[in-house]
Amino acid sequence: MNILNIDNLTVEVEGKIILKDFSLEIKSGEIHAIMGPNGTGKSTLTKVIMGDDNYKIVKGTISYNGKVINDMPVNERAKLGIFLGMQMPMAIEGVTNADFLRSALRAKEGDNFKLLSFIRDVDKLTKKLHMDSEMIHRGINDGFSGGERKKNEILQMNILKPDVVLLDEIDSGLDVDSLKLVGESVMDYYKERKPAILLVTHYQRLLDYIKPDFIHIMKDGRIVLSGDKKLASKIEEEGYDKIVGMSDE
Amino acid sequence: MNKITVYGEDIKIENKGEIEVSIGEASKFLNVQSVKIKVLEDTDIVIDVSEVDIKLDFYINILKGVRVNIYEYKHDGEYKFQYKYYLEEDSYLNSQKINDGKKIKEMTVINLNGENAKAYFNLKTISKYDEKYNFLVYHNAKNTVSNIINNGVNILDGILEFNVSGFVSNGITGCDINQSARIINMTKNNCIIKPNLFIDENDVVANHSALIGTFLPDEIFYLMSRGISRKESENLLTKGFLLRGITYYKETLEEIINKYWR
Repeated sequence: MNILNIDNLTVEVEGKIILKDFSLEIKSGEIHAIMGPNGTGKSTLTKVIMGDDNYKIVKGTISYNGKVINDMPVNERAKLGIFLGMQMPMAIEGVTNADFLRSALRAKEGDNFKLLSFIRDVDKLTKKLHMDSEMIHRGINDGFSGGERKKNEILQMNILKPDVVLLDEIDSGLDVDSLKLVGESVMDYYKERKPAILLVTHYQRLLDYIKPDFIHIMKDGRIVLSGDKKLASKIEEEGYDKIVGMSDE
Repeated sequence: MNKITVYGEDIKIENKGEIEVSIGEASKFLNVQSVKIKVLEDTDIVIDVSEVDIKLDFYINILKGVRVNIYEYKHDGEYKFQYKYYLEEDSYLNSQKINDGKKIKEMTVINLNGENAKAYFNLKTISKYDEKYNFLVYHNAKNTVSNIINNGVNILDGILEFNVSGFVSNGITGCDINQSARIINMTKNNCIIKPNLFIDENDVVANHSALIGTFLPDEIFYLMSRGISRKESENLLTKGFLLRGITYYKETLEEIINKYWR
């Protein structure tokens, strides 16, 4: 059982407080969805957990299995098993997906890295995600559409096999078919490995495929309402303003 | 494949017959050696330079309609080199140059003397000390093309400078003149790029870009978020940056990068 615990976390960026006394605990096998209006700190939360040093922790802790990881470098967090599927993954020209993934897997597995099984896995996953098999030889996300980038994030997740999966608006930029494909792939991974999943989304539609145990509504940098899947439907029908009120900002 | 190996004061030539090479007498006063190459037929030339302690001038004449690829690797030494290229009508030059020396000063003069002559330059360097590169590109005939790409990563005590000047005179129409220079500066030292275009003709396509900076923090974050260390991330990004456009000495360049970002 892995536990990611965020306790009383306050975070600022460029002098502005984004998260205020934020607390949440996620355990293996749980799926939490974070929803909320724009600018409430949802993406900030995922980046802070991953260790993006653009964000300054003013107070509070992020701990993983009881160990505080506030000051842990990004790559060490990844090696612990935390994975962030990004809202807008970087395109990096010149660095191929193959070199990138090989380096990532080598960093995780060290001498146990097996090239042949890596190639097999990538081949299987590109087929499953309906991706061009040649993508592995192209630059990271270079020339990829928004949907292809999201699929690439899911491919990376499947290759790296994390225990904590943070997915930041993984549904944005996806057409209906791709949304279904990505949603089902995340659920397949969930069924196989039972990771802890923290999902950030604006829309209920993603939750048709990824079934959360908990839904949290964020406003002004903190969770103001939690519930089950019915809460997402209610938000979809009535909107955030009616349910949690207007933002203080 | 023709090969010119320069080691110390020795110059060895492996000539397959497509080039004529003459080596001038070393000037004792100026300590300058000269190598004159006439490219007679389509061919490739490899130039391997190491531990040279003299100044060297290359004169390379590419005859009408001839296509040549020149792959140069300079390592382990302090160099003051000058290159003068003369391109005749419909000739083509593709130069890929990898530098891993100490102090380097280079002057490259490209004379596009015949119509439709084309010169493509790709310089990659990892600068650890002082390195300065000057390029003068003269479009002396109509419909000539130049594309000068200089990429460098500046590390340790490096100071890197690229100066590129392109010239098109009035009446020399239909030219295509391009310069692109980028320096990734991993030090606090100053690096300089001076891109100049001296054009006295309206019928010209001209582009230039110059960029000095570090790797983007978001790129580093993305790579590290997959478990890759900062050093390994820089290694990957450096390879992505420097290996582009390099074919012949690709593996050598990868080894050089691994040497500094192990």
